[in-house]
Amino acid sequence: MNALQWTAVAAGLALTPSAFAAQYLTAQQAQALIFPDATAFKDASLQLTADQMRAIESSAGLPARSAAWRVVSAWQGDRLLGHMVLDDVIGKFELISYAVGLAPDATVIQVEILAYRESHGFEIRNAAWRKQFVGKTAADKVAVGDNIANISGATLSSTHVTEGVRRIVAMAQVALKK
Amino acid sequence: MGGPSLATQGFRAVPSLRYLNSTPAFFFADDGTSTGGFNHDGRARTLAEQAQRPFLAPHEMANASKADVLDKVRRAAYAEELRAAFGAAILDDADAAFDRIAFALQQFQKEDPAFHPFSSKYDRFLAGKAQLSDAELRGLGLFNNPGKGNCAACHPSAKSADGASPLFTDFSYDNLGVPRNAAIAATADPAYFDMGLCGPDRTDLTARQDLCGAFKVPTLRNVATRKTFFHNGAFTTLRDVLRFYVRRDTNPEEWYPLAADGTADRFNDLPAALRGNVNTTEAPYNRKPGMAPALSDAEIEDLLQFLGTLNDDNQS
Amino acid sequence: MMKKTLLAQALVTALAIAPAAHADEAALMKRLDQLAAELEKVKAELAATRQKADAVEQRQQAATPTAPAAPAPAAPATAAAPTAPAAPAGPATASVAPTVPSAQPVPVPAPAPAPAVPTAVVTSPASPAGSTYPGIQAPEAPRTVFSAYGEINYNRPTRNASGAQLDVRRTVLGFEHRFDERTKVVTELEWEHAVTSASDQGEAAVEQVYVEREFDTGLRAKAGLFLVPAGLLNQNHEPTAYYGVERNFVETAIIPTTWREAGVGVGKTLDNGLALEGGLTTGFDLNKWDASSSEGRESPLGSIHQEGQLARARNFAVYGAANWRGMPGLLLGGSVFTGTVGHATPNFAANDARVTLWDLHARYNPGRWDLSALYARGTISNTEALNLTFVGNPAPVPSSFYGWYGQAAYRLWKQGDYSLFPFARYERFNTAKTFAAVPAGLGVATAPDERVVTVGANLRVGSGVVLKADYQKFAEDKSRDRVNLGVGFSF
Repeated sequence: MNALQWTAVAAGLALTPSAFAAQYLTAQQAQALIFPDATAFKDASLQLTADQMRAIESSAGLPARSAAWRVVSAWQGDRLLGHMVLDDVIGKFELISYAVGLAPDATVIQVEILAYRESHGFEIRNAAWRKQFVGKTAADKVAVGDNIANISGATLSSTHVTEGVRRIVAMAQVALKK
Repeated sequence: MGGPSLATQGFRAVPSLRYLNSTPAFFFADDGTSTGGFNHDGRARTLAEQAQRPFLAPHEMANASKADVLDKVRRAAYAEELRAAFGAAILDDADAAFDRIAFALQQFQKEDPAFHPFSSKYDRFLAGKAQLSDAELRGLGLFNNPGKGNCAACHPSAKSADGASPLFTDFSYDNLGVPRNAAIAATADPAYFDMGLCGPDRTDLTARQDLCGAFKVPTLRNVATRKTFFHNGAFTTLRDVLRFYVRRDTNPEEWYPLAADGTADRFNDLPAALRGNVNTTEAPYNRKPGMAPALSDAEIEDLLQFLGTLNDDNQS
Repeated sequence: MMKKTLLAQALVTALAIAPAAHADEAALMKRLDQLAAELEKVKAELAATRQKADAVEQRQQAATPTAPAAPAPAAPATAAAPTAPAAPAGPATASVAPTVPSAQPVPVPAPAPAPAVPTAVVTSPASPAGSTYPGIQAPEAPRTVFSAYGEINYNRPTRNASGAQLDVRRTVLGFEHRFDERTKVVTELEWEHAVTSASDQGEAAVEQVYVEREFDTGLRAKAGLFLVPAGLLNQNHEPTAYYGVERNFVETAIIPTTWREAGVGVGKTLDNGLALEGGLTTGFDLNKWDASSSEGRESPLGSIHQEGQLARARNFAVYGAANWRGMPGLLLGGSVFTGTVGHATPNFAANDARVTLWDLHARYNPGRWDLSALYARGTISNTEALNLTFVGNPAPVPSSFYGWYGQAAYRLWKQGDYSLFPFARYERFNTAKTFAAVPAGLGVATAPDERVVTVGANLRVGSGVVLKADYQKFAEDKSRDRVNLGVGFSF
């Protein structure tokens, strides 16, 4: 399996690359941004067991939602650099597609917004807002109004994305942590 | 005065025919206010209906009958024009012809701009094209001020939102308690009362005793050119009218005959039982004897100056 | 190939009817087994397709020695990507050009001339929220989303018990329909005061109706009836979005929330957090000014707005708004709106009058605090001649009006779904700060600024319901002091 084919796999897990702004990044572009040193990406999509889902619920305080998660693992040679988890949440009316980059110890490295279609709240894409998640773990229980600042006029979008990250970090703690 | 030799006295002052083209037919508004109609008591629903009575009324043109009118019309120079407009046979049927003549008169009044020229100084002032003198401007202020003249409450002076020029009437009715006019022969009979909406000329509202004494609010355009005022011609100068408005309640002895005990017989043109209908709650006629009148004599002069600006150009 | 497609479709069906996950253990385990089995089959397909792609690649390399490493077009194209289970033909996804930092120069697999078999997983608006299973390709179907908000308010003047009132202040239903990735229509319908008829006092109104299109550059354009981007409240006016039962006075009497105009607008959000908007719309109509009523004193612009109702449009207005959210939790912004308001009405004394309204606002949310401040000022020019015709009336046209407020709220307590936000707000405003000069004795005196203090709390229940209580104290007109209670929702 050469690099091309694995990147194609990643692409396969990703969005339609599109010419207009609602879709800002493809999954492939996101993984490159999060793990610039990676030489290979592998599909690490997983199915959670019922026990794992319960653990996530109690850790995050949110419904575990789905047993299936799209995960890509990033490798530099034989060394695992971390994981990228792809997810969607509803903002107010529209789906927001985003990716969370996690270190092997389930700490957040980076959050990237892949697609945003609402009429308001584009500021979710600002590096400054997303940087708030860097270094957070499941124990931090990221929440708007506590350790994550709100985006004025886009409360629902910022809240739902924050909840999504909280769930992902809990999932990573339970299922991905090495 | 009317009748065959112009010697028969009528009952009411003649209202102006100007600015009637947008008056609606009589109706009761949502809040019960009587609105619209033609004549002092609103009994004619349209201008055409109003036009009919003067032909036949004994104290007006005193024609004997519709056929009588038609005889005269047939001999007139415009008989052929009538036939051209309404058909060759029009002058053969008295009722139909009479009807069409009234209709023609109505359309003339509605369409001819001479009936609603809006050519007064005030209209030019509203358009920003003329200035009012200081006195006239003060008079306008007193006219509009709800605490002073409060005239605009029934005689609106502002353009409407759709740009229509003000007609200085809201087509409603008011009961002012105007003094009895002894110059009208009929008033010699103490039982005779002209009560406007509830009769005697108008017959459909006799049950509404609360409306007795109410007469139509006329336009104030060209009011400064009139020689008689109010439905019964009780006053002959506009200054007297304005003084009556503000001094009716503070100095009733100036307007009404004194009774045996020295008090003024207020609202003597209404039966005693119905004098309660008179408007005593709206400014400026909501004061009591001994209080200062709402307008001083100097303010009345300013108001007269303003009312003079409502005369259409060809009048003043 | 047929077998693969059938398999794919089976997989899609299985997943499409998969209910949202709950830890319902037995059913979950069973489905997990099923999915694991099908995943094996997908992997087998992957291997087969890859071999085919390799073959194609080699043929291509034989044909053209060097292939350009250009990004594949967004058009439906199939390539050496795993064939995901095919959903009924939606816009297919394409593989992306290899911009991955890879040591080997890699030729771009040329798009095979196969029909648009969807090849990859997409996140799709049509798939239910949270659907993250790989292999799903849902079609980009248009969708319709409903939203609504409502508020029921109780006001009790403290000095006038008979003035107490409980009103279904507004009930609003909105829908947004997305035609495709770039185009949508947004509509908002409102019913005020519960009952609307010729003899009732309610109002039924269209608050917004516009279409919006997004372009390649990130520019968005809309046309129709839409909210003017002024202040903090106008575009975020749901009861869950502000503190206190009633909307603040500065943003109702000075900025006439909910203020909407009809026309066209464009907007773009820059990467640095600056959101810019501008447009050309209908404006106000000064012919509607009624100097004898108190409406103009309560809200000058509210008494002459047109709201897209047979609006006079001889004169248009332009607006611009800039809002910066570059720092998390901070919003700084401002707007301006200006237009003439006479509409060339024959014989109108103020055809060249101009209304201008501008505002500056800020909102800061550090931690549990929610702090906001706003200043707004409006002017109406060239009203001298018109006001002369209004002498003696209580409400001539003001030349300027303004207001400002400062507000602080804090999340004091949170337990599960409930969170309590006490707040305090101080506002100062004057709906007729100055008038054009008229001859002495004929003008109306300007009233002093009204100052209102509001203290109270919002209790949020879940994410869409709020209970509110507050007390308002008026410095000038003390008869308006009142206690307010309200319940509101928004989704």
